[in-house]
Amino acid sequence: RWLASSSLFPLSCIHTSTSLQKSGKWEKKNRIVYPPQLPGEPRRPAEIYHCRREIKYSKDKMWYLAKLIKGMSIDQALAQLEFNDKKGAKVIKEVLLEAQEIAVRNHNVEFKSNLHIAESMTGRGRYMKRIRYHGKGMFGIMKIVRCHYFVKLVEGPPPPPEPPRTGFDQAKEYVQQLRSRTLVNTL
Amino acid sequence: MAALVVVFSPLPRLRGLLQRCWGRLERGLLPGFSGGHSLPWGPALAVQAPAFFPQPVNNTSESNEASGLLDSILWMAAPKKRRTIEVNRCRRRNPNKLIKVKRNIDVCPECGNLKQKHVLCGYCYAKVKAETRLIRMEIHKKEGGPFNAPTVETVVLYDGEKPTEKDEGKRIIERARKRPSWFVQN
Repeated sequence: RWLASSSLFPLSCIHTSTSLQKSGKWEKKNRIVYPPQLPGEPRRPAEIYHCRREIKYSKDKMWYLAKLIKGMSIDQALAQLEFNDKKGAKVIKEVLLEAQEIAVRNHNVEFKSNLHIAESMTGRGRYMKRIRYHGKGMFGIMKIVRCHYFVKLVEGPPPPPEPPRTGFDQAKEYVQQLRSRTLVNTL
Repeated sequence: MAALVVVFSPLPRLRGLLQRCWGRLERGLLPGFSGGHSLPWGPALAVQAPAFFPQPVNNTSESNEASGLLDSILWMAAPKKRRTIEVNRCRRRNPNKLIKVKRNIDVCPECGNLKQKHVLCGYCYAKVKAETRLIRMEIHKKEGGPFNAPTVETVVLYDGEKPTEKDEGKRIIERARKRPSWFVQN
């Protein structure tokens, strides 16, 4: 089932591949192999990229769940998602468990609880347009909405949350900016 | 997301009203898009308005409706400007719209699954529910139909248990398995 992508003119259409043969970039991120580390270097934490495509849910609604679990440890994220009532919570929980399984099996992660969520993002899937019938012969065009969900797990405890920017910090930065100005065209 | 499109009906009764509506659309008073999609016009036109209103009644109602609509159109609230994505983001990402982190999740001491503090553990509840369903099936087999519930108490006995002297007049339900640890015998 080989489909011809744009071969005649390079700029005619970039997105010519259909869903059958498209391999997303996120899936390819798992395939990078680093050269072996030297004895003195600090240990590089394992990174696991996982995603699920074409979930029947809205990307905006899924975004709230992705924002919830960003930066949490995987156990905390699973706990939060288990008691959340949204439809996307169940899907994301499955994705996280799959990713944990892949981490332990393929990526040489020792403890399955020692993972934290470095990145969690949603993307827009393929939308379909359908007719929604109203009364009196009116109609509307509705979009059947789908989304993708991407997650990157990194080995190690979650990083401490950075303290919120206070007014004092902003003032300090402002003063620093003023001090670092240079005078132009003068002695 | 559905966008409402006003459909043309070629029947002469509603033509005057629709022409006025369409005129207003063209002038841009009502939000809507002129010359919408060419494709869905076909199936929409296939659905006709009901054709059984008598002409004189409809004329008066039409004019009343038209004047009412004229007045109500001028008072209807409509957005003046498109909300920019920055404004939209400020509203959608406001902390009160983000999902709050729950702090009332604990570990169930019986099975080790997660549970909320004020709610029964889901796993343990499902276990009890399954066993109750089997007991009820046994009861149904014994009773054999609706409205046959006896007026005495019921006692559930598992493998190798004998009814004590306290369970004298009670109805006995036998279950062919070991007593579960959570079902305490009196």
